[in-house]
Amino acid sequence: MPEGDHSAFGELNMKLDTEVLIIGGGILGTSVARELSRYRVDTTLVEREVDFGWGSTKASATVVCQGGDCLEFRKEYRNSRFVWDSIPLMEPLCRELDVPFKRIGSLSLIRNNNELVKYQKMKNLADKYLPDLEPHQWIDRDTLRRIEPHLTRDVIGALYDPKPAVTDPVRLSIALAENARENGTNIMLGTEVVSISRGTDSFEVQTTEGLIRTRFIVNAAGVYVDKIAAMVDADEFVVYPVKAWIGVLDKKVGDIIRHVVTARPSRPGELIFVNPTVHGNIFFGIPLQLNKRGDYSSTRRMSQAGFATIRSLVPDVSEKDIINSFAGYIMYRNYELGWHECVVAASRKIPRFINFCIGFPGVSAAPAASKEVIRLLSSEGLQTVEKESFKASGRAIPDFSEASDEEKKKLIQKDSRYGHVVCRCETVTEGEIVEAIKRGATTMDGVKYRTRAGMGRCQGGFCSPRVARILARELNVPEEQVTKKGKTSRLLLYKSKELLEGAVNEPA
Amino acid sequence: MNLHEIDVAVIGSGPAGMAAAVRAKETGAKNVVILERAEELGGLLHQCVHNGFGLFYFHEDLTGPEYAHRFIEKTMDAGVRPMLETMALNISPDREITAVSNKNQFLKFRPESIVLAMGCRERSRGALNIPGTRPAGVFTAGTAQRFINVEGFLPGRQVVILGSGDIGMIMARRLTLEGARVEAVVEVLPYVGGLIRNEVQCLHDFDIPLFLKHTVTNIYGERRVEGVRVAEVDSRMNPIGGTERDIACDTLLLSVGLIPENELSLTAGVELDPVTGGPFVDGARQTTVPGIFAGGNVVHVHDLVDNVTWESEIAGESAARFAMGERIPAWAGIKLKAGRNIRYVVPHTISGNEDVTLYMRVREPEQNVRINVGDIAGKSELIVKPSSMLKIELTSEQLKKLGKNVTEVVIDCQKWGGK
Amino acid sequence: MTRIETVICIGCPMGCEIKLTVGAKGEITKISGNRCKEGKSYAPQEYKNPVRILTATVKTANSSRPLLPVRSARPILKRLLLPSMPVLAGITVTAPVRVGDVVVPNLLDTGVDVIATGELLS
Repeated sequence: MPEGDHSAFGELNMKLDTEVLIIGGGILGTSVARELSRYRVDTTLVEREVDFGWGSTKASATVVCQGGDCLEFRKEYRNSRFVWDSIPLMEPLCRELDVPFKRIGSLSLIRNNNELVKYQKMKNLADKYLPDLEPHQWIDRDTLRRIEPHLTRDVIGALYDPKPAVTDPVRLSIALAENARENGTNIMLGTEVVSISRGTDSFEVQTTEGLIRTRFIVNAAGVYVDKIAAMVDADEFVVYPVKAWIGVLDKKVGDIIRHVVTARPSRPGELIFVNPTVHGNIFFGIPLQLNKRGDYSSTRRMSQAGFATIRSLVPDVSEKDIINSFAGYIMYRNYELGWHECVVAASRKIPRFINFCIGFPGVSAAPAASKEVIRLLSSEGLQTVEKESFKASGRAIPDFSEASDEEKKKLIQKDSRYGHVVCRCETVTEGEIVEAIKRGATTMDGVKYRTRAGMGRCQGGFCSPRVARILARELNVPEEQVTKKGKTSRLLLYKSKELLEGAVNEPA
Repeated sequence: MNLHEIDVAVIGSGPAGMAAAVRAKETGAKNVVILERAEELGGLLHQCVHNGFGLFYFHEDLTGPEYAHRFIEKTMDAGVRPMLETMALNISPDREITAVSNKNQFLKFRPESIVLAMGCRERSRGALNIPGTRPAGVFTAGTAQRFINVEGFLPGRQVVILGSGDIGMIMARRLTLEGARVEAVVEVLPYVGGLIRNEVQCLHDFDIPLFLKHTVTNIYGERRVEGVRVAEVDSRMNPIGGTERDIACDTLLLSVGLIPENELSLTAGVELDPVTGGPFVDGARQTTVPGIFAGGNVVHVHDLVDNVTWESEIAGESAARFAMGERIPAWAGIKLKAGRNIRYVVPHTISGNEDVTLYMRVREPEQNVRINVGDIAGKSELIVKPSSMLKIELTSEQLKKLGKNVTEVVIDCQKWGGK
Repeated sequence: MTRIETVICIGCPMGCEIKLTVGAKGEITKISGNRCKEGKSYAPQEYKNPVRILTATVKTANSSRPLLPVRSARPILKRLLLPSMPVLAGITVTAPVRVGDVVVPNLLDTGVDVIATGELLS
């Protein structure tokens, strides 16, 4: 097991003392952890999954630095303030941690005069609210055709916002966590909070891995943020789980769209979108839907709506180009009113308990909002003395497929495993996979999110037996113990001939 | 052999690659290499431990590994040089290959000609858009085949198979023999996707339930598959409400079609046929890029390995001729057009001067038909099915009947009254 | 007493359902449903003596490959396919093995050997 994983307790039900406990290893939890690791604070982060960013973070369209949409983002909402304040922070953060970041701009499609009026209002608001940021521009139909030739012709123009960019939110979460760990944060994966009880000046947090005593709690539990808050009666807010569905297009049509393109169905707050990802695929999505929490299944209706959506924006797309789709949850306040506000607040009733939930757009707001969490902790009484030893920069796993010929040569010369291509769709080498495992990947999905092995058009058909073997070898476990995403998600339930020999062990 | 003196480079060492390399050597090419990313020659044949290989080519019923073994010996005897654990990353339009290997490291070289023989890959769950959760336990049939026959593991013990392609049915039998229980094979079409031989010997022999006109409409299980929902479909393949049933299982295998593997071809600028998913090829199996040839499942998905071998031999021979200086006109000649109930015809063009074998597949099953090649040749069939490739051999004598100015010949499948 | 048995012909994609009328002593008195001559000769043989080649794998020792592919050298009775599997599950072969080497002699007293279809280098 990698450092920090489970090992904090030594054995189960030992007690661990910490000053700040962060619950949740998504983009928000890891952002706070990293921000907090600048100070002399004893911090522990617990995450129920065995890796970072597997909740709402993973379900992101990967777009950041939006916020120019001032029909959605208004200065009376704190959420908007965090999104706007994060715009100048995002690129330096990604550069510092060596996470891919690409500024591509966004186009809001104008399909009729009613929409034109709406967007005029939006541009006026944006000019007023965001005077220091690069302004919007009107794009006429001819220009639009030139810059996005595959886009539907059924538009009268677009409003261009130069600020939006794409990144990789899961990799950003991992990079933040790695950096926090390097700066002293104790990280415990596969650790689920079961209950919280309140003492006079501390909390006793029962987890699946043992008891943790802490003075402060940052509740960044994503989809379970209200459940965690309710454990100590700090649930002074109501959030609704809404389901996001995202379809993925093959890289071979990866240049069919170059900007974040959005269109607005009639209901406020609803948006359909298509955008390239930083890795060269295209993502597209349908309006968010209120749904039962925890049901991560996608439905036939969602797929059909998704395909209809992408066809309405980019008519050339064929069903054959779709290589995957997935669903995830975003916690949404005031869903019934169609506008959304975040929860970034110290509990009014419970001292030293901070609720931290952005909902939409969580990744975009994370840099500024996590700084606000530090301010809240400090006003709740946490001593924040800066560490001199803080090391700000991180380094990504080498990306063989993106490397130049010269760099490729060097990588292979240094370590011949970089000459062994394991995932042929994304050209991921054994060297990258081994490095990902060294840094903490313990599962197939962990390797996938770090290296993209299995994310290509064959979706792991070719490489999964090979990745499973490398995981088993590097983690020194039997191959049938390798999981897709931790816990009971074992890939292979039996050894060959096991079912014929009578002595069959039921899978755990 | 110096990398800069290579005449023919073959990409891939499955049945197609080995056949092309051997034939290139036999035709007279001096330096022939095969680039193979695995540790040994043979490609997917090693995981196909079942028999049915070589019935026509060797007139023997061989298993995949035996077929591989025969061709590995031929390859070595012919003096072909295998470059193992070597993966081609890129081919430029002027045939410069960029490859990596953990032995020879980073390579760039420009052979006189290239044969593409990368084979095909399976359609995945994502491509099918099956609703439901994303648990462990969903595999393509070929991936499961590798785990079971090569890696030494069984994915699970209670299995549902979606799709009745050949690999899916063969895996139904393999899993049953290994002690797992195959609950159902589910096929969306009203007929089986694979060969009749496999339907009888893999499903009927073991009383494995087959649901035609059904599909999987949901997958259950958060971490590991716990079951699937199956429903009947209407003529437009939409699930019919009220026909759903849940089947408990720990594994779902997908056998829903194969796609030629042409990412490398695209880097060279080779044009692909959207119907076959493979390169447009002429009778010599030359692609739209001069000096780049293709054979086997990279061109179109075959039903039998024997046909893969024969087709690739053409590609290998042409590549050798090209390497030895013969200029094969780039993708010109008489165009073959798929007519009524013909999904595609390979090759896409023919010279009209040489004997040629046409390979084709129909769109729909049909009985009592006649396949017409323009008005110069024809062949009657009691039954045609999409799962079985059709072959028509044309002699240069027959082709002469086309006349000089013909630029296109339509091949169609016509209903035929019979007697 | 006669009964009707059905055999699906695998000779061509047609897959004729051939009906065999079988007499009290097991003799075939009538064949119908076949559309060609091959079906007529295949059906009685498949009914009386349905045989298949068994293909499977066995475990290995001292090899980087956990399994060796094998098959029955000749076809065996269809009903013996499943009972053969526990026999194969009990076998572990040791490298080197060449293609064609006997892995299990006289499988279930059929007189048919199980042979290696792949190589195992030492």
